[in-house]
Amino acid sequence: MERQMETDQFSQNDTLLSSALNEKMQYLNDLNDSVKNGDDLQIYQLMDPNRYANELATEETEESQTDHFGLASDLTAQLSHHLSNKLIDYLGATYPFFYYHEYELGKFHIYFGNWWDHRMFGELDPINVRFNFDDNEYQMLSKSFQLEAENRRVNDDTMQKLGDENERITKLIGEQDQRDKRKEEIREQLKENQEKSPMPWEAGKVKEERQRLNDEMLKLTQIDEEATGGRPTIKENENKILALSKEETILSLEKQNIRATFGSFDAFIENNNNLYTKYLQSLSKESQVSDGE
Amino acid sequence: MVSNETEEKTITTNELLANYSDSVQNGLDNGSKYLQAFHTLSETTDGQSLLSAAVSLTNFKLNSDFVTFPHQFSDEDVQLIFFERLLSLSGIENNFRISNPQRVQKLLCKFDSLGDQTFTFTKSTKNSDGFFFGPTLNNRPLFYLNLKNKELMFHGASLIEYFVVDLDGLEIDAIKNALELLTKAAAILKENFGFKIDFNVLDGVNGEFYQFAAGTLSEDVMDELFVKSAENHFVLMAEDNGGASLTLGNGTKMTVYDANQNGNRPKWGATIRDDQQNENWLYLLLDYPFIKKWYLNNQKQLEILSNQFIFG
Repeated sequence: MERQMETDQFSQNDTLLSSALNEKMQYLNDLNDSVKNGDDLQIYQLMDPNRYANELATEETEESQTDHFGLASDLTAQLSHHLSNKLIDYLGATYPFFYYHEYELGKFHIYFGNWWDHRMFGELDPINVRFNFDDNEYQMLSKSFQLEAENRRVNDDTMQKLGDENERITKLIGEQDQRDKRKEEIREQLKENQEKSPMPWEAGKVKEERQRLNDEMLKLTQIDEEATGGRPTIKENENKILALSKEETILSLEKQNIRATFGSFDAFIENNNNLYTKYLQSLSKESQVSDGE
Repeated sequence: MVSNETEEKTITTNELLANYSDSVQNGLDNGSKYLQAFHTLSETTDGQSLLSAAVSLTNFKLNSDFVTFPHQFSDEDVQLIFFERLLSLSGIENNFRISNPQRVQKLLCKFDSLGDQTFTFTKSTKNSDGFFFGPTLNNRPLFYLNLKNKELMFHGASLIEYFVVDLDGLEIDAIKNALELLTKAAAILKENFGFKIDFNVLDGVNGEFYQFAAGTLSEDVMDELFVKSAENHFVLMAEDNGGASLTLGNGTKMTVYDANQNGNRPKWGATIRDDQQNENWLYLLLDYPFIKKWYLNNQKQLEILSNQFIFG
């Protein structure tokens, strides 16, 4: 009796197993066919059926779909490379300012712009149809957009400070003659001061004067030293200003390009957030067009 | 020895007089040969005769022990007369003239469009057939002319120093007029006389490589060009060859790159492309003040190389 049941259970199990294996084979066959036929839309569907259903289904479906992608997940790099082909074509039209470099199979650096010294802006993830922007670079651009609304720039304060510093040092260098003259006067006055033989009640005043002259002399020598060592500082600051101007130039080109394509930074963000849906819709439209032919 | 002395003593008065008259005659013949060449130089309408007259008059020893000529044109003057006549025979002399023909020995010339600036030739200290043409004021060697070897070489750094820096503030068209005259003259020498010409910074042919003196370029020099371009609404683009390019007005494109990228000695320089093949490095500096500023700020690195043997 018990044994009979067991047999039934086992035989049922085989049927289930067989059908599950068939399903898996079917899955891999489907995936293989989609790759061969260049049906990227179907690949996306097979890779993440739930996301696909959520973001593209015309009617609401609560039902969760079986996800077999685990079977091919070790092929992500190859799939990513395959999918990047059409995706980058699409992005070329929708994000004309991004450039990609496949630094290893299926992995892509994003470059913002193709101008001199463009920034490496993060990575492209073709499997999830997503930009993974570099945090620092993205934050800087975002800040630049924010400040622009207040008519300011990211590096304005630093550049102003460096510029002021250079102006100050240049002035110190220019005033060397004046200082030298003043030092000569002080030397004379110190000599006079030393030659005085004051009345006891004036001794304090004379000493005070000497102290004052010595202090001023010390201050002037300190300024002299700063002026003498000033030229390298000026050059250094100029280089810093150049580097910051370059950064501002790059930011300004990036903003120009985003505005030219999306109108605003917010619209750019919005588009990034919906990239998966938008891209898959475009693929589906394309396949409908070619079906209709 | 003894017999020689006896011979000398036996020269007769007649022989002496004959020797004298031969020597004077030779001196006069020499003078008339000079004069003949000089006539050709000043009057011929044939280019080849003009050239050979100028060549034969250069380093011509006119004086002899018996006949000397107190008024002579210098070798420098001969070059200038040749140059002036070449222009007038070619019909491109307007804007150019010899400015003090009444003063033999140091002729000067002027470009009408450049006002009072005078120019003259100066003999090279290395080669008695070679002459530098430059402003009288500071003698910058704008070009080198050697009629005998059929060579004309422009000197990029001096041309820029003079036409871009010294003449700063003058109408750009006036400057270009003078430069066009010089390049036209050089082109005529090349085409009609087979001269070897180095146009250097005046070469407008697309793709001509203007090589920078430093060989290598530090990155901040390029950064500076990038920033200055953006300030003037041009974007310096990265090029596949590791260099950068600027697309300027009228479809003019300037590219800066290392022409020896795969070798171990960098060879940075620039090329210019434009439809008319008019734009050259010097015109670019005149036409775009921000490029000129960039060039002058980094002159040590960006100076364009010229023939170092001749101008060095």
